[in-house]
Amino acid sequence: MITLTINDKEVSVEDGTLILEAAKQAGFHIPTFCYQPILSRLASCRICLVEIEGQRKLQPSCVTPVMPGMKVQTESQDVKEARIGVLEFFLSNHALDCPVCDKGGECELQNMVYKYGPKKGEFTEKKERFHEKDYILSPVIVKNSNRCVQCLRCVRVCDEAVGRTMLGPMGRGAHQEETSFLKSYMDCDQCGNCIEVCPVGCFMRLPYRYRARPWDLKSASTICPYCATGCRMDIQERGGEYIRAISKFGKGVNSELMCARGRFGFDFLNNEDRLTKPLRKKDDGTFEEITWAEALETIKTNFKLSSPERIGAIISARNTNEEFYLLQKLMRTVLKSNNIDSSPRWSSDAVSAYVTACGINEGGTSIADSIDVDTVLITGSHISDENPVTDYLLRRAFDTRRIGVIIASPRAMKLDSSAQMTLRNIPASDGTLLKAVVAELYTAKPEAFKGVTGLTKIKTLDSATLSKDCGVALDDIKATTGKLLKSDQISILAGTEYLRFPESLEGLVFLRDALRALKKDLKILPLLDRCNQRGAWDMGIHPAFTPGYEALEKEGLGCDRMVQAADDRQLDMLYVICENIAGLYPDAKYAVSALSKLKFLVVQDVFMSETAKLAHIVLPGAAFAEKDGSFTNQEGRAQKIDSLLPPPGEAKTALEVIAAIGRELDYGFGPSTADEVLAEIREATSMYREVEIDTARNDSALVKGKPAALRIADFLGKKRFDDVEAENKPSLPVPVVKVKPLSFKLVTGNHLFYSGTIARRSHTLRNLVSGPMVEVSVADAERLGLSDGDTVRVKGKYHEAILTLKSKKGSRDGIAFIPENFTEVGLNRFLKRGEGIQEVTIRKI
Amino acid sequence: MEKILLKNIHKEDSFKIETYLAGGGYVALKKALKERPDDIIQLVQDSNLRGRGGAGFPAGLKWSFIPKDPTMQKYLACNADEGEPGTFKDRAIIDNDPHLLIEGMIITSFAIGASSSYIYIRGEFEFGASRLEEAIAEAYEKGYLGDNILGTGFNLDMAVHRGAGAYICGEETALLDSLEGRRGQPRIKPPFPAIAGLYGKPTVINNVETLSCIPAIVEKGAKWFAAIGPEKSPGPKIFGVSGHVERPGLYELPMGTSAREIIFEHSGGMLGGKKFKALIPGGVTAPMLVEEELDTGMDFDSLAALGSMLGSGGMIVMDETTCMVRVSWIINKFFSHESCGKCTPCREGTTWLTKVLYRIEHGEGNAGDVELLDRICGNIFGRTFCPLGDGAVMALRGCMKHFRDEFVYHVEHKRCKVC
Amino acid sequence: MLTEETKTHIEGLLNKYKTRRSAVMPALMHAQKQNAGNLTEEDMREVADYIGLNPVVTNEIVGFYTMYNPLKDIGTYHIQVCANLSCSLRQAEFIIEYLEKKLDIKSGETTKNKRYTLTRVECLGSCGTAPMMQINDDYFEDLTVSKVDEILSNLD
Repeated sequence: MITLTINDKEVSVEDGTLILEAAKQAGFHIPTFCYQPILSRLASCRICLVEIEGQRKLQPSCVTPVMPGMKVQTESQDVKEARIGVLEFFLSNHALDCPVCDKGGECELQNMVYKYGPKKGEFTEKKERFHEKDYILSPVIVKNSNRCVQCLRCVRVCDEAVGRTMLGPMGRGAHQEETSFLKSYMDCDQCGNCIEVCPVGCFMRLPYRYRARPWDLKSASTICPYCATGCRMDIQERGGEYIRAISKFGKGVNSELMCARGRFGFDFLNNEDRLTKPLRKKDDGTFEEITWAEALETIKTNFKLSSPERIGAIISARNTNEEFYLLQKLMRTVLKSNNIDSSPRWSSDAVSAYVTACGINEGGTSIADSIDVDTVLITGSHISDENPVTDYLLRRAFDTRRIGVIIASPRAMKLDSSAQMTLRNIPASDGTLLKAVVAELYTAKPEAFKGVTGLTKIKTLDSATLSKDCGVALDDIKATTGKLLKSDQISILAGTEYLRFPESLEGLVFLRDALRALKKDLKILPLLDRCNQRGAWDMGIHPAFTPGYEALEKEGLGCDRMVQAADDRQLDMLYVICENIAGLYPDAKYAVSALSKLKFLVVQDVFMSETAKLAHIVLPGAAFAEKDGSFTNQEGRAQKIDSLLPPPGEAKTALEVIAAIGRELDYGFGPSTADEVLAEIREATSMYREVEIDTARNDSALVKGKPAALRIADFLGKKRFDDVEAENKPSLPVPVVKVKPLSFKLVTGNHLFYSGTIARRSHTLRNLVSGPMVEVSVADAERLGLSDGDTVRVKGKYHEAILTLKSKKGSRDGIAFIPENFTEVGLNRFLKRGEGIQEVTIRKI
Repeated sequence: MEKILLKNIHKEDSFKIETYLAGGGYVALKKALKERPDDIIQLVQDSNLRGRGGAGFPAGLKWSFIPKDPTMQKYLACNADEGEPGTFKDRAIIDNDPHLLIEGMIITSFAIGASSSYIYIRGEFEFGASRLEEAIAEAYEKGYLGDNILGTGFNLDMAVHRGAGAYICGEETALLDSLEGRRGQPRIKPPFPAIAGLYGKPTVINNVETLSCIPAIVEKGAKWFAAIGPEKSPGPKIFGVSGHVERPGLYELPMGTSAREIIFEHSGGMLGGKKFKALIPGGVTAPMLVEEELDTGMDFDSLAALGSMLGSGGMIVMDETTCMVRVSWIINKFFSHESCGKCTPCREGTTWLTKVLYRIEHGEGNAGDVELLDRICGNIFGRTFCPLGDGAVMALRGCMKHFRDEFVYHVEHKRCKVC
Repeated sequence: MLTEETKTHIEGLLNKYKTRRSAVMPALMHAQKQNAGNLTEEDMREVADYIGLNPVVTNEIVGFYTMYNPLKDIGTYHIQVCANLSCSLRQAEFIIEYLEKKLDIKSGETTKNKRYTLTRVECLGSCGTAPMMQINDDYFEDLTVSKVDEILSNLD
């Protein structure tokens, strides 16, 4: 601790604290422009100059660390004059077109001049003007250089956090402006962080331009509805239309950072296709509008007709914890059924195994802790596209703290540039790769493995064979092993590929146990792609466990088995909330045919999905900004969301509908408000008992759990779509497909701008993607004589599609990536239940 | 005085290594390589050699800040980004006696333990850059550069890096950024280059003239050097005289020679016998001197005592016909043109000053403009990131201190008082 | 398009420095030389790609340093006359006016036949031999009107 005086007040702060921060702790505000704690230091704007006793000149408080006994003045005459002087300089060439500037009313320059002065401007010269018309830099970013204050936050955030380096300061001195290469249209991540960090109206949202004054907006604090990073944002509306999403400095895990989906993808809320009335399917297959009373009556009747084992519920991982909890309560206590699940994309067995392997049931692990280590291993995730803001946070930590990063992924990604090693394994071989590493660890230190579960299997692992199976050179595996051995603190970030290909989880568990046996301080952070996937599991949206991961005596059916049961006419009734089974189940034809056999299908959703089209009753649902409740992100951080507007028309939240159905079946069913449900959740599971679900204090928001309520042995050894026991196999076979010339393995995941049902309905996001695409490595594209933008025919065993080709530098050859969620493509039409990875050919049209 | 720095420049083929060797070149290097590096640093400290780039920081002291860890990569960068208006001394050495500089750099690298060195030369000096490259090639050829220099086990690489038109790259940290392939903008200090310089490694940056003094110091000793000129800023100095004198050019004289002697004896007096009006003693940043100050010794301390500075020693002499408003405008235009744009006061302030000065000079001044200049200067001075903005203010204040009446006259009469 | 010769130059530069990025300034200068003093968009992209940088970096560099002429139309002979103080005291303005009249262009312009571009520049470090100008890479000092005539008539 260092003691100094600021404005004659004695202050004690941590060693190395900047004067600026020390003053803040002491209650003195020092204005800043270029200072941005997560970015590199510039000290260029000179607005934060302070007086330090004994120093000839005023010093920038944003880069000057405190010293013992230092005497600092932040409000002396000299400091005030300097501050006004700098503001006067800013105004001298500033456009001062505040009446037509989107930033007016929330502009840092405006606010600062209002507070400090100058009260009168003496600049009478001709101003420097860069342009008359604003630059349209992208479908979402527009720029007015005449308002720039040269703080370079935009340039730094793009380079240092986002990792794109699309913007640069062009020109010199007073002629300098921050733009893209030759002011051209930017083919960038479209995250708009340049807009968010801009203190003035220089970078602006194009979709929001001239649409509102900030004081006309109403806002609510919520969590982004896309991936599970769990970015906090304020959603804002004017006149009943959702108009802007903003992130705020110091709020949430993300602070000011967001990605394109989060910042611009909220406009699906305004989509004209929103469902607003309950619908009933007529005999001719068309829908008619009905009242809620009629709808609930029909649902009640049908529920009563079915026996518990013939009823199922599937809810998407975008709903609130409260909705999850109430749904499973309805299913388990009223309908006596454990047939509950959350995603058709993977099996419930995969989920059980993943939850256990990653220790999700053992409580939360924060991103901050996960990256405050010696080595980070990222596996089974295309993190840059799937969890963009997690990518930003990692990049900043990796680049500033020089953490060792190893990325294992068949596809190249933006974060590769921060990694010391990138391993390009064969798709679905993530576990094989990890096993190869485990084999090497065992060879290096066999004595440490005494008593490790699965040791008999570990002993039989042969790194050379495994290296061949996963397509990563043995030398690279050895280098990885070497890095892990040298590190004391390690974290593994494991993504959704482990859910798609749960055979891989055995490798993850082996590595986890091996590293623990080697006395490494190990953390595992799951990387998930739906905003409340972890919450769904925590709340017992799973056929095998209750809220808080208590294993059930009698396991119900997961989504896959429910579809199978429907196909076998073993399931009569399915209650689906916002989940698009027909669009995402990895065999479209099978899913549609199975769902069509149901006696009664009720779907609540915000849009008419492929699944809703098959329903007997369709209920209009509410989306995130229309709900109160909580989401739990991938870290296990429970976060409150507030509603801003009521859902459109007669639409209702899932919570209301579940409660209403419950009351129809059992008069005493409840509770029915989010707060009451949360209170009951706290009662029901110790995981949530102490958690502060609070927007301000994020640190205490991590859920707590007890170690391993579920045992991994219960779930490992089950293949994806069948129940083949594989106990005796030394290492579970990964579907290895020999790649023929011109033949590709089809892999999937999320697109940076496009990650699910709701993203399809965002006009802004659709504007960012030219259309459905297929991505291959640059080398493959060259081999095929194809170039970016070519239209190609992608042909698989069961389906073919016309797509636009994109090539990616550094990706593994022989892989074709098609994003999961393009309606136009129907990725799941390429897939066949029980067949694993499919092969496709690509030809130019 | 015996010439040290310019002794070779008029020789035939002065730039060739043979000429340099014939004149006793690289003898100092042989001598230095037999010494302990620390002894050479001590020698230079004892000589009291102060940096000739403008700031006058003691060279030996600068070297002594370099960490002694032999396993650490260190760099020497020669600042040959000569660009301060009125300054043209380094070019004479670069073009005509490149080996003097190279020898100085080899000795310096040996002293600080650098194995890699760069000469950052301003981009416009195409001729000088190729001369240097040829000379470096000759030095490699003769074994003065490369691996195991003269069999001593000392290795040194040297390369020329050309700037591309930015005065700010003469600021040492901006120079490093430029050398790293960035826009040349000053860095936050600390850390100072001696700790984290080029590529984040300890780096010494010295001016051409400073480094060119080293061979003579090694050869003739610290005492000899310290005895030339004033005690606290000794040694030979190249004064570059330009403007209204009969014989503009370079004059190598002892530090502390009076401005009057340089102008009226060495440079042949005022051009056309006109009356002397003002002298900028060390590049345009240095505040002006007037007639009664001409007996001041041209050295760091004497000029500092007058509120001016020796700077680069580039002396610009102006006669009675010179309009001081115009001079100020030209100087300020230069600074606003060269402002890197990083910090607000320099970027916006120098631009504003130039606009006001333009108006005054062109008969469009308004009442209050002179006071406005004072106020803008006050908002720049001491608040900028690097010394460039301060330099602009020093130049303008220096001029207004002596010739404020001309500014007032311009504003009031919308025309010049003298021309 | 970067010529093979330029690429060879750039390749050579990459060995000179500890980082590839350090080569960006001289590499851009080679690209500009190859096009007689003009830097094209394509070359800026190619240099960036060759060195492994985002094109925005080359844009930053060429915008900061005044010797790059991106997307300009510089004539065969780029005449740059120093207009800073020492030259100005020795009648640089007169030389500039003379050149403007002789070439029938304003400073900052290029003659119609693309032979000359006239630019007024800041100090070129040749103050003792003022006034002076630089034509392409060469310095011409102690200028007088007749000397300017002679220099121009001796070009190519």
